[in-house]
Amino acid sequence: MAVVSKAGDARRQPPRRIEISQNVMHIFLLGMVVIAIFPFIWMVFASLKPFKELVESRALLPETWTLRNYEEILGRVNFYAAFRNSIVSAVSVTVVSVYTSSVMGYIFSKYRFVGKEILFTIVLSTMMVPFAVIMVPLYITIANSFGLADNLGGIIVTGFYTAFGIFLMRQFMESIPFELIDAARIDGASEWRIFFTLVLPMSMSPMSALAVFVFLVNWDSFLWPLIVLSSQDKQTLPLVLAGLRNLWWTRYEMWAAGSMLTVIPVMAIYSFASRYFIRGIAMTGLKA
Amino acid sequence: MTSIADGSRASGRAETMGVWFVVKKTLRKPQFWFGFTMIVPLLIWYWIFSFWPIIQAFRMSTVAYKLLDPGNSPFVGLGNFIKISQHPLFWVSVKNTILWAVYSFIFNLPLAMLIAVFLSKVKRGRNVYQALIFVPVVVSLVAVSLLFKMVMDPEVGQLNKLLSTIGLPELQWLSSSSSALPTAVVIATWKGLGFFVVILTAGMLNIPSELYDAALVDGTNPWQQFWRITMPLMSHTILLVTVLLAIGSLQEFTLPTVLFGSEGGPGNSTFLYNLLVYQEAFLDIRFGTATAASLFQFAFILTISILQIKLIRPSWTY
Repeated sequence: MAVVSKAGDARRQPPRRIEISQNVMHIFLLGMVVIAIFPFIWMVFASLKPFKELVESRALLPETWTLRNYEEILGRVNFYAAFRNSIVSAVSVTVVSVYTSSVMGYIFSKYRFVGKEILFTIVLSTMMVPFAVIMVPLYITIANSFGLADNLGGIIVTGFYTAFGIFLMRQFMESIPFELIDAARIDGASEWRIFFTLVLPMSMSPMSALAVFVFLVNWDSFLWPLIVLSSQDKQTLPLVLAGLRNLWWTRYEMWAAGSMLTVIPVMAIYSFASRYFIRGIAMTGLKA
Repeated sequence: MTSIADGSRASGRAETMGVWFVVKKTLRKPQFWFGFTMIVPLLIWYWIFSFWPIIQAFRMSTVAYKLLDPGNSPFVGLGNFIKISQHPLFWVSVKNTILWAVYSFIFNLPLAMLIAVFLSKVKRGRNVYQALIFVPVVVSLVAVSLLFKMVMDPEVGQLNKLLSTIGLPELQWLSSSSSALPTAVVIATWKGLGFFVVILTAGMLNIPSELYDAALVDGTNPWQQFWRITMPLMSHTILLVTVLLAIGSLQEFTLPTVLFGSEGGPGNSTFLYNLLVYQEAFLDIRFGTATAASLFQFAFILTISILQIKLIRPSWTY
């Protein structure tokens, strides 16, 4: 019986359905995946080749496997300090700004006070100002008023609040019902308790999204650290890595090894947390 | 920012009760203290690290900034703006930056849309594809620059070796003034595409599938579905992507700097506007003209963003 009715359905449908076949899509997407990750895989093997082989051979895999590049680069460049600086600055900026964004998003969404809309608009409008506009006055403030020139603190304190984060968290907090918060108030919970034990646990998903986003941006940050940090032992990974260009003008195997040292930590995190990264970016897109 | 009140029965009776009563009532509210202790640090922070620098930028752009005695910098009016527009590389950098933005659109938007359409329609493996296509976004931009500088080296790079193996002519890539800029944008696209793909795919998956089912019953082809369903319902997301692309590419700095150093590629062909601002400010130490230059950029980006929002929004939204 079932077979007959199915056939009847098919006859009623339009004669030819034009659809892109799944195979075509898979082939195309596989091609894109190869383009996206092949250069990266090439770099992994390049960092394990001696210089002569790297410039002469066409093979992907090394003939002579060697870790000498890594030995040499770790002997010449203080990657440990750079790594520590990057971790310290990126993690502290991420932790603080995700926290401040959640608090401010909550207040801008659930509190009413005089001048709230104006304040929110002003905070948001700073997002429109290109970084180039504030970089000189900001540097003067950091260097002269705070004495933070060539200090890791100089790139940390400027990141404690992000307008984008406040905006994103407010968008999310709008979906938390007022009734829930009022019920907690009636039950006698303090404002602090409401925020930390009720609102924050409900916001873990957008907070982790924002954290991933802020961390990526700061881990990769280049221009502002370049302005603030000058001495070798204060620099973050991107600056040290960019410095390899001048240190070894054409020693590509060193570039590859240095790049690997920079990329491996993030890739390690990404390999088991890719879901959060992607959800984070997707959510920022949907909410913005 | 004077009073943080519950709002439900706030201002109406305020006059009759007297200001002092309202203030006292407000001060007793737990909401006030929570909000107050949270907002005041924000305001101080924003003032120091955001508003004040912006105000300073406008002031600095009108003076010949004296590094050792900034208080006594002489006022020069629009002098800095005239001076920066006469900089020998000003128009070069403007042209390069606009070219960079145009190439960014051409390389990023159609490809990201196509990948996103396929990702949203594919029945299996979507998450795996997405995770792998996103990999370049996670790789540090400086590492990406070095990686492609190696691969695209005209003499010893793997790309030219590959081209000659399959019998195609070798190219100069980053080493010639005519191809350096588009090649650099290709690298930027490789690095950034996954970001836009994820945003666009999320937008497409948000479109209710009933719409496509209905369209299929009506006998439409994929092309019609794309232009009649996907595009209109995606207008908001596409607008976001175009604004992000414009803002990002008009402020590009890292990639050309790491690829070529601060002088910007063969024959200044990748000397972008932000390199000009950076050079003016921190290599030539002319803070006044540098901030004037950055304010030009501000005005331009603002205009472009508003234009995009005005032009794109009404035409597509349902």
